[in-house]
Amino acid sequence: MEEFRFLELCVHNAYENMAVDEAITLAMKEGEAPPTLRLYRWRPSAVSIGTFQGMTDEVDLKYCRLNKIDYIRRITGGGAVYHDFDGEVTYSLIVPKGHRLAPPDILKSYRIICGGIIEALEHLKIKSKFRPINDVVTDGKKISGNAQTRRNLCVLQHGTTLLDLDVEVMFSILKVPKEKISDKMIQDVKKSVTSIREILDRHVEVDELGNALEAGFSKALKIDLVPGALMAREWADAQRLMKEKYSTTKWNLSR
Amino acid sequence: MGDSIFKVPGGKLLKIKLTPSEDRIRAIVIKGDFFLHPEETLVALEEFLAGKELDEIYLAADIQDFLDEAGAKLVGAGAADIAKAILMAK
Repeated sequence: MEEFRFLELCVHNAYENMAVDEAITLAMKEGEAPPTLRLYRWRPSAVSIGTFQGMTDEVDLKYCRLNKIDYIRRITGGGAVYHDFDGEVTYSLIVPKGHRLAPPDILKSYRIICGGIIEALEHLKIKSKFRPINDVVTDGKKISGNAQTRRNLCVLQHGTTLLDLDVEVMFSILKVPKEKISDKMIQDVKKSVTSIREILDRHVEVDELGNALEAGFSKALKIDLVPGALMAREWADAQRLMKEKYSTTKWNLSR
Repeated sequence: MGDSIFKVPGGKLLKIKLTPSEDRIRAIVIKGDFFLHPEETLVALEEFLAGKELDEIYLAADIQDFLDEAGAKLVGAGAADIAKAILMAK
């Protein structure tokens, strides 16, 4: 089986997480980094928005500051995601352009890579399927959202898999006029989004989901995940990107 | 100055901020949860649209031509959807 570097489930803040993703693409562009899968959590909890979204349109920054929730703009499109430290696991898969997992047809590549999440959920005894454009759903409800960018001669796909969901907190973070947060809206979200703990009706630990994702990606994508670490140049690039880009108002509030 | 929000059927959300000048676009910001590869194309598209006539059919064709020439791929919305959203913001 093809070997991938595997960066085991770890914890970073929002700026480090997004900077590490981009740093890996920079190293891969130079032929220095191998195809990589990483699993990570966000501490403090954070909200990430799609690269084309308006930060102040989407996020209640005052609420975030008061509740010590970071906010960050991704380099990928897509929508706003709340990365609750205890409620989700994020993955990033980075491969060179032309890799078999990332064909030119973007929808096809979402379908292939999301196969890892579907297999991970299967591992947890949850049936799910890919729903174009970029979601994985179970029983018609979204359980994973994914986003992709193609740059630096690489394809980067990252995504979240929900372990738990607090709709009330989500609505407090995302900028929905408070008077519009009706019981019906909360019920509507509960009908369209779900989580692993809700489905299995038990307290699934974060590590259990991490292990399932590791097994799921390996099996579905036919890759051998070899535990590794960031190279010094990747970590140096990540530190630079964190300072000069991802932690700056210029980047995060650019739209 | 006008705003619009357009949910593309079966696709993503487009949010437009339009500054018109008579029947033309003076300035425009296109936001939303769609995908565009490469992402840098969006700012170039916004600049390209400045000065264009606010005509949905012409705009759709111009946007499509621009994306084709840039070799860009829009996912979750189409050129016609952006044109429609722009006119909604008029």
